This record gives sequence, C-alpha cells and structure tokens, in this order.
Amino acid sequence: MQRLWGYIYQYRYRYMRGIACLVMTATLAMSIPWLLKQAVEGIEHGRPVREIVSTVLLIIGIALLQGVVRSFSRFLIFNVGRDIEYQLRNELFAHLQTLSLSYYQRQPIGDLMSRLVNDVTAVRLLLGLGIINILNTPLYYVYAMAAMLAMDPILTLLAIAPYPFMFLVVRAMSRQLMERTLNVQAGLADLSSRVQESVSGMPVIRAYVREAWQNGVFGGLNERFKTENIALARLRGLFPPLMKGISGTGLLVVLWYGGSQVIAGRLSLGDLVAFMGYLHLLAWPTMAMGWLISLYQRGKAAMQRLEVIWQTRPDIVDGRENGASRSGQTVRGEIGFRHVDFAYPLDDRRPGGEAGNGHVPDGRTVLHDITFTVPAGKTVGIVGRMGAGKSTLVHLLPRLFDVTRGAITIDGRDIRLFSLAELRRCIGFVPQDPFLFSARIEDNIAFSQPEVDGGDVRRTAVLASVDGEIEDFPKGYETVIGERGMTLSGGQKQRLTLSRALLADTPILVLDCALSSVDVTTEGKILQALRTSTTEKTVLIISHRVSAIRDADFIVVLDAGRIVEMGTHTELVERGSMYTELFQDQALEEELAEL
Amino acid sequence: MNQGQDEAALGKTYDLALLRRLWVYIRPYRATFIVAVVCLPLTSACLLAQPYLLKLGVDWYIEQGDAAGLTRIGLLFAAALLGEFLFFYAQFQATMLVAQRSLADLRRDLFTHVQELPASFFERTPVGRLVTRLTTDVDAINEAFSAGTLTIFMDILTLVGIVVIMLSIDFHLAVVTLALLPPLLLILNFFRTRTRVTYRTIRERLARINAFLQETLSGIMVVQVFAQERKMFAEFEQRNRAHRDANHLSNMYEASLFSIVEALSIISIALMLWYGAGQVGQGLVALGTLVAFIEYLQKFFVPIREFSTKYTTMQTAMTAVERVFQLLDTPVTITSPPAAHRPHEVAGRIDFEHVWFAYNEEEWVLRDVSFSVAPGESIALVGATGAGKTTISKLLNRFYDIQRGRILVDGVDIREWDMHALRRRVGVVLQDVFLFVGDVATNLSLGRTDLTPDDLRQAARHVNAEGFIRELPGGYHEHLHERGANLSAGQRQLLSFARALAYDPAILVLDEATSSVDPETEVLIQDALTKLMQNRTTLVIAHRFSTIQNADRIIVLHKGRLREVGTHQALIAQRGIYWRLYQLQYAHAAGTAPAHTDGPVLEEI
Repeated sequence: MQRLWGYIYQYRYRYMRGIACLVMTATLAMSIPWLLKQAVEGIEHGRPVREIVSTVLLIIGIALLQGVVRSFSRFLIFNVGRDIEYQLRNELFAHLQTLSLSYYQRQPIGDLMSRLVNDVTAVRLLLGLGIINILNTPLYYVYAMAAMLAMDPILTLLAIAPYPFMFLVVRAMSRQLMERTLNVQAGLADLSSRVQESVSGMPVIRAYVREAWQNGVFGGLNERFKTENIALARLRGLFPPLMKGISGTGLLVVLWYGGSQVIAGRLSLGDLVAFMGYLHLLAWPTMAMGWLISLYQRGKAAMQRLEVIWQTRPDIVDGRENGASRSGQTVRGEIGFRHVDFAYPLDDRRPGGEAGNGHVPDGRTVLHDITFTVPAGKTVGIVGRMGAGKSTLVHLLPRLFDVTRGAITIDGRDIRLFSLAELRRCIGFVPQDPFLFSARIEDNIAFSQPEVDGGDVRRTAVLASVDGEIEDFPKGYETVIGERGMTLSGGQKQRLTLSRALLADTPILVLDCALSSVDVTTEGKILQALRTSTTEKTVLIISHRVSAIRDADFIVVLDAGRIVEMGTHTELVERGSMYTELFQDQALEEELAEL
Repeated sequence: MNQGQDEAALGKTYDLALLRRLWVYIRPYRATFIVAVVCLPLTSACLLAQPYLLKLGVDWYIEQGDAAGLTRIGLLFAAALLGEFLFFYAQFQATMLVAQRSLADLRRDLFTHVQELPASFFERTPVGRLVTRLTTDVDAINEAFSAGTLTIFMDILTLVGIVVIMLSIDFHLAVVTLALLPPLLLILNFFRTRTRVTYRTIRERLARINAFLQETLSGIMVVQVFAQERKMFAEFEQRNRAHRDANHLSNMYEASLFSIVEALSIISIALMLWYGAGQVGQGLVALGTLVAFIEYLQKFFVPIREFSTKYTTMQTAMTAVERVFQLLDTPVTITSPPAAHRPHEVAGRIDFEHVWFAYNEEEWVLRDVSFSVAPGESIALVGATGAGKTTISKLLNRFYDIQRGRILVDGVDIREWDMHALRRRVGVVLQDVFLFVGDVATNLSLGRTDLTPDDLRQAARHVNAEGFIRELPGGYHEHLHERGANLSAGQRQLLSFARALAYDPAILVLDEATSSVDPETEVLIQDALTKLMQNRTTLVIAHRFSTIQNADRIIVLHKGRLREVGTHQALIAQRGIYWRLYQLQYAHAAGTAPAHTDGPVLEEI
C-alpha cells in the first residue's frame, strides 16, 4: 500500500485541484434543493413573481457553474487514475524485463497477464472512482444533514433511515458480486481455452471421429458457465430495483410524515420539495459508498499481488566492472568453462521443463564440474542423450542462469563482470524453440538492429537458406508473421531465428538444437555456408545429427551432466565408446545406404 | 480484428432479420420471455404513478388539511413503490434466465457447427477469431442483457410516459418545462457518436497492449538474449500511452455529458418554477402539479444519464449477433450422402483413380494420380517438399473433396461412404502431434469410454510408449500441459502411435515427423512404426530411411504426379527420381558422399 500512497503523493497537486472542484461541486449541488425550497415557498405564500424569478435565475446560474466544475472534478481525478495506471504498467513491464528466465519458468504467463490487466485496473478504479466517492459521500451527507436537520430533525431521521440500510446491503452484496463476477470470468476463460484447443486439435478430433467427445466437454463447461451467469444475474439484478425502492421509501416518508407536518403547519411545502431534493442527491453517493468497500478491498488485494512482482528482485544483474574498463576493446570470443556446477534453485516450482528438454524440476545438480575451453574462432559440437544438460550448458553462457559453482569466461574474463547488455551483445543465440514476434519477417530478422538496411537482412537470410522461401511469400520480407493464418513451418521458423542471430553479428554463435526441424540437406548447406562466411566466429552447436557436428573442431560428449568424452569426430569414433554408441543407429543407416 | 468487416456490420446494426434469428433461440423459453415483456410496462406504470400520487396528496389532502386522505395516498404510494420493485426484479430475472439459456444454446450450436466446417475453412480463419466468436462475441450479447440494457425499452416507455402525463396534466407548463428537450437530444446525439468511436478505440488499444504483453513475456528469453529490453520498453510505452490518451478523451466526454445532463435537469426545473410562479398565483396551476413535475423531471433524467452507455453496449451486442450468425451460416460442404455406405467389415483396399486436386482453383496439387493398394500392403510415399504427399493423407478421410477422379476404399467411392464410418476405419497420424490438456489416458482414448485402461496400456506397450509413461510421476494419470509441453518430441510421437493403435484402424495413414530426436528414442520410434504397419493397409509419408525399407512398395510423387512405383532395389536400379532423392536426403544424412549436384537436380526432371 505504501507504493499506492507514493503515487497519490506524486500526483498530489492534480488531486488537490480535482478535490477543490469536487468540494465546489458538492457545495453548489447541495444549495439547489434549498433554493428550490425558497422558490416553492415563495409561490406557496404568493410572494411577488419578481422575487421568485431572482431565485430561479440564481438556480440557473448555479446549475451552469456547477456543470463546469463538476466536469472538471471528474476528468481531473479520472485522468490521474489513468495516468497512474499508465505509469504502473510501464514500471511493471520494465521490472518484468529485468527478471531472469528462472522466474518465467515458474510463473505462468497467463497469471502475469491477469495481474497486469485486471489488477492494474482494480488499482486504477480505486484511485479514480474510489477517491471521488470517498470524498464526495461524506461531503454530501454533511451538507444534506445540516440542511434537513435545520428544517425538521424527526423527518430527517425518518427519511434517512433506509439509507444506512442501503449502504449495508450494497456492501454485503458487492462482496458476493465480486466473487461471482470472478467465477464468470474464470468460466469464460475456460470456454476460451476449450475452443482454442478444439480448433487447434480439429484434425485429430476429425480423424478419430471424436466430435461427440468434444461437444460433451464443451457442453459441460457451457452449462457451468450458464449456471454461474445466472447466479451473477440474480444478484446483479437486485441492485437497480433496490436502489429505486430505498430512495422511494424516503420519498414515501416525506409525503406521509412530512405531509402531516405541513397539515399541522409545522413545515412548508417548500420544505418537502427540499427534502425530496436532498434524498435524491444522497441516493447515489450512499450506494457508491457501499461499493467503495469492495473497491477498496479489491484494489488493496490487487496492489498486494502487484507488490509480489516488485519484490522479486532480479537475480541476474550487471557485473561490477560493468564493462567500463574494457569499453572499445573487441571481444575475440574465446570461451572457457572452469569447473562449472549448476543446479536449478530448489524453490523453483517449475511446471516441467520445456519440450524435449528433460530438466527435472528439483534442486538436483544438472551440470557437474564442466571444464573446457573453446579458442576464439573455433567450432565445438555438444552431444549427449536427452536430459544430459546440453541446453542448460549453453543457457549459462548469456547468463540466462548463473552458475552454481565455478566460472565461465569470455576472453579470459568472468562473464559476471560484464554488463548484461555487453555480454549478450557478443553472443548470437539460436534457441531450441524458434520464437518469433508477430511482426514483419524483416523486423524479426533485424530484431537486434532495427536500423540495419534490407541488404543485410537479405544477406543473413541467404546464409540461413530461407531467402528463397521468403521471396515466395506474396509480400516477401514484409510478410507479417501470424497474420491471417500466416503460419511458418518449424524449419522456416528455425532458419529465421538463425538469420536473426546472424544479423546481430556477434563473435560467438550458439545453436541449441537450432536446426532440428530443417531437413538434413538444407542443414548441411547452412552449416557449410556458416563455415565459409563466419570463420572468425566461435560456434557452440548442439545437435542430435552426426552430420551437423562431424566437422566441428572438437566435440564435447555430455552424459548425466558430466563431460564424458572430448575430441574430434575421428578421434571419438576411433575411441569407440559413448560417442559411437550414441550414433550407432545413424552409423547403421550409413551401412545400409552402402548396400 | 477486421476493420472493414466491423464497419459494414455497424452499418446495418438494427437489422430486424438478425433479431428474428435471435428469436429462434429465445422461442423455447418464450413463457419466461413473455413474463419479462409483460413486466416492462407494469414497472413503468408503477414508476409513473408515484409523482402523480404526490400531486394528488399535495392538492387534495395536504392543501386541504385532510390527514386521513393523506394516509390513503401514502398507502397507494407504498403499493406503487412495492410494485415497481417487484415487477422490475421479475422482469430482470426473467430476461436473464431467457438470455443465459438461449445464449448457452447458441454457443452449443456454434461449437457443434464449427466442428463440422470443412478443413478449408480453418485454413483461412485464424484460431483467435473463432475463439472470439464463441466467447467474446456471445458474451457481448450476454452483457447487453445482464447490464440491463433491455431496460432501454422500459426507459423509452418511461420517457414517453412522463412527457404524455406532464402534457396532459398541464400542457403549457409541460411545454415550458420540456423546452430544453430538443437541445438535449442534439447533445446526446453528439456524444453518442463520439463515445462510440472512443470506446472502440480504447478496446482496440487495450487489446494491442495485451497482445504485446503476452508475446513479449512469452518471448522474454529472446528479448534478454539479444539485450533488447530498451527497445521493447519503448514499444510498450507507446502502446500504453496511446491507450491512456484515448481514455483521457473518453473521460472528458463522459465528464462533460454527465455534467451537461445534470445541469439541464436543474435548469428545466428552474424554468418550470419561473413559468409556474405566475400561473399558481393566478390559480391556473396547482401547487401539487409543481411538486409532481419536479419529481417527473428527476425520473426523466435518470435514464438519460445512462442512455449513452446502454446504447454502446447494445450496439456492440448487435454487431456480435451479426458476426455470430455469419459463422453459423458458413456452409458445411463435406457431408455424408443420404444412403451412405456403412460396412461392418473393412478389408482395407485403396484405389486412387485419376485423382486431380487443388486447394485453390486450378492450382493443381495432385495431377491425375492413380494407384492401388491391396489390403494389408504398406506403401511409402516419397517425394520432395511440395510433391503432394501430405495432401494424399488429407484426401483419404475426406478432409477435402477432390475435384476430378475417384478415391475408392474397398471398391466404394469415399463420397458414398458414411463420413464417420470412413474416418473410423482410416486412421491418420499427423506429423504435428496434437495433445489435449488432460491426462495421458484421455489423450490415448480421446474420451472413448469403450476403451478400458487395459486396452490403453496394451496399445502403449505395443508401441514402446509404456516405458516413459510409467516413468512419469502420475503414470497414465499424469496431467499433460498445453500441447504436451512436458513431453519431448519423441515421447509425443510415441503417444500418437499408441493413440492410433488403440483405435485399431483398417487403414493407417501416417505422416512421419521430420524433427530429429535423440538416438535412443529414435530406435523406439522405428520399432513402433514397424509394429504399426503390420497387418494393416498403411500409407506412410516417409522421412526415415528405415521406414521406406519396411514398406512393401514405394510410390514416388513429383510435382503432384505419380512418377515411380516399386521396391527400393528396383527404384534404385531405375536411377530415376527416387535414386536422386535417396542420394540427396538419405544417403547424405547417413554421411556418405553427397550426390554430385545439389537442389537443382529435381528441377531438371
């Protein structure tokens, strides 16, 4: 909540201006029933029309003035709410970008989205509507009570009696209402993901004639959603008539008891008109006050959920030296792993690993005592069974995770001494999962260097053997990925992510199973092109295919997180242990092919 | 979303035809609906009676000092109040019941309809749009009901009622009081168009923020690894600001509208008192009339304040109705014939007779393809990318209908088969393994209750999937994440094999996955493939050399034409397309010397 006060303090001058308008609005609004009373009493007692006309003119003047200050008060305060919302979102987004990958592995994106969308909205409502009402309601009551008590204390108490009741009812119901609204929202989300899944899995459903099954599953969710909606409507439908009923009751009291007071000569008809006016003016603020409780609770809970994000401190941050000592010097790309151990932190409650990446979500050490050096400009192949730790190993290089023990160096310097940007700008990383943004192909390739010209984009696309296919699209490099069902094959995506890494023009290139969906011929062609065009690059390549790594300067064989063998393809084949075992079947194919 | 479409839809918003179609869904609940419709005017009547009773109370009893009469009027007023409350609530509840029930029916029909739409439809329609139709759009209609938008009719009734009553009580006074009505309507109209545009802008901009967030957070690794945080922030800030600015504008409209209506309501009362003052003095207007008019004016401006919001909701709903029915109107083009073929036993013979097929008109993907497969035979389909292999797998179970020629299963044209019977006999294993959110067992059975856990285990064991399933913490009950994200590519393939086997089709069409897996899983997959191909007619779109080796015959497709048929040895001896493909794809993969030329070879043929 402290952060919330911080925002309020930051915008205090605009709030104050808004509040000043709010107070003026209330003062003007509350004077109108009193003036009506004057006018009606004037008519009642047959005063000269001129006198009444001056009251009427005063009313019109106040109405106009009130209109102006009212609109100012509303948009001043509502706009502050929007500004804080904007700032909140910016700050959250900037903070989220500093959090390391391990955070995202345990934090479902859907949950973060709901915080950034729903919780931020709840905070905004509290800071806009909430602030207006928390000031408005007491103000209205003070004015109205003063005026009404002055006319008739007993009538005041009788007429106002239903109002606290209205407040209590609204307060009680709004909590329920919030709960039911959340249920309905959750139900809608369930329906969405069901439709999403059914449509995506349509070929399977159809091939296996399982439409009835899907209809059944959808039908169940649909029924539940209906029931929840009806439950919500029961409650929601109660508000408008209840509000009318309660303010109507006040009116009834004025007519009945107030009327008898007029008959008895203790009150004038003008007093009754004023009473009715005040009751009308109090109805909405009373109801709003009831809402306010849940608005406050919801905003507070939302703020707490957001606070959790802020309290997650980025665990991977810029190095101490921050590159200052080295600026201007080019990185050659020598990589050293020195006795590196790595374990995913114990509190990582990760929902399984990524696809094909058999991380076990416990505190087990997944890399043990990894030591090897890649001289600048050399290519190293990394092989091993599923879950051997290959991917984890290369994730350590750009510090997506930090080593548990030991050190990784680039050009002999610990990577933890670099600034993050400096370190990452010297590594071209092609991840296993080819993630592309829904932007133009051109923008995706030039992701790291938006200012680069089309020629460079094309050149890297040619290197990655994807140029021809891009040119075949009707819009070529302007094609927007993901638009109008524009989908790319896995192989195309992988080659685009390779182009993206190549364009960054880094001294180090990491290929993490990066061409697994590309056919062998094309893969060979790409690797050949890379060898000839990027001789000075240091390359780390993970692959299941012997063809992809056989030409590496040396090969690191990993098993259960340890290096079991190292050497060139020929050396390893001659030695005839783990490496040859791994590729037994590919060798078998080789034999078959020679038949 | 599609801008042009939206505009066009808005143009004919209040299309009666649409409402008539919506009525089809309401009709089953018409009894409840009638209750709602009857309650609408009753609510209005009770509401309208109150200020009038006030007038009577003032004129007849308060002015005359008749306390007993005042009590009678008080009781009547209380009754009107109670009536308003009850009728309003009944109306709202009845409307909601009808709305929820008929919308649930509508969603059900939409879902069923979508399941029947032809495969070509899904190719041109993004998944997101369909999800929007079934959820957001239907919910927009729901919102129109549950936010009480139907009361807009009651509001109109009430407004007209107020005007009529005021005019009949005192024509001149009413005219003066309502003098501000025309400018008010103009102002309302002005804001109505403005707010409609800004609301839509806000919705679009918010959607853009959300899409951007979703994407950036999903791809955070790419952002970080390329150190592009600053650039992404700039893009986010720009979207965020655009959204805020649109909201500022909307706040201004909203605040102005609210204040103007508020001011006009007071000024109207003032005008009435101005004129009324003289009239009462001359005895032309009763004091009670003034009091009643004040009350009527209060009631008059309440719905006007809400009108703009209600109107927007209503319009959104009507656009949604239109879109939803558009989807329902998309024709189902592939259906079973009236007297469909539904055999008890299927031998598994396949005949392609001069098959021509194009996804788009005249862009032939298959040209005059003819071949026959004997029951139990296994065929490997081989060809370069784009040769038409995958297309064949989509034709055999009628995902698409061919333009020319015939495809026969057991000698019967597949268009004469009962579509579901055909699909039950033709199993298709796709390259992209799709897994549903749910446990392993559900993903194997796909919800079929006639398959026992034992059947599933047996199928899994047979295709070497049981090993890894047993190792999962929950075994067969292990929950699979979205698209099977907690399984490796190889494991997903094994699961899809088990799924096909549990289904036990007479004909199996298998599109082999190209992605490479670790060598150990590879062995399991190859073994499983061999088992799957046993004793059933199999068409395999082969990427693995071992699979081709296991097939009885190889069919070579090139540019949509069938070019070579035969065994591996025969085709190699022939030194034709197959020989070249083999050199390029399989021999190279295995590490032997590549063919003397690269890609262009195929072009020369």
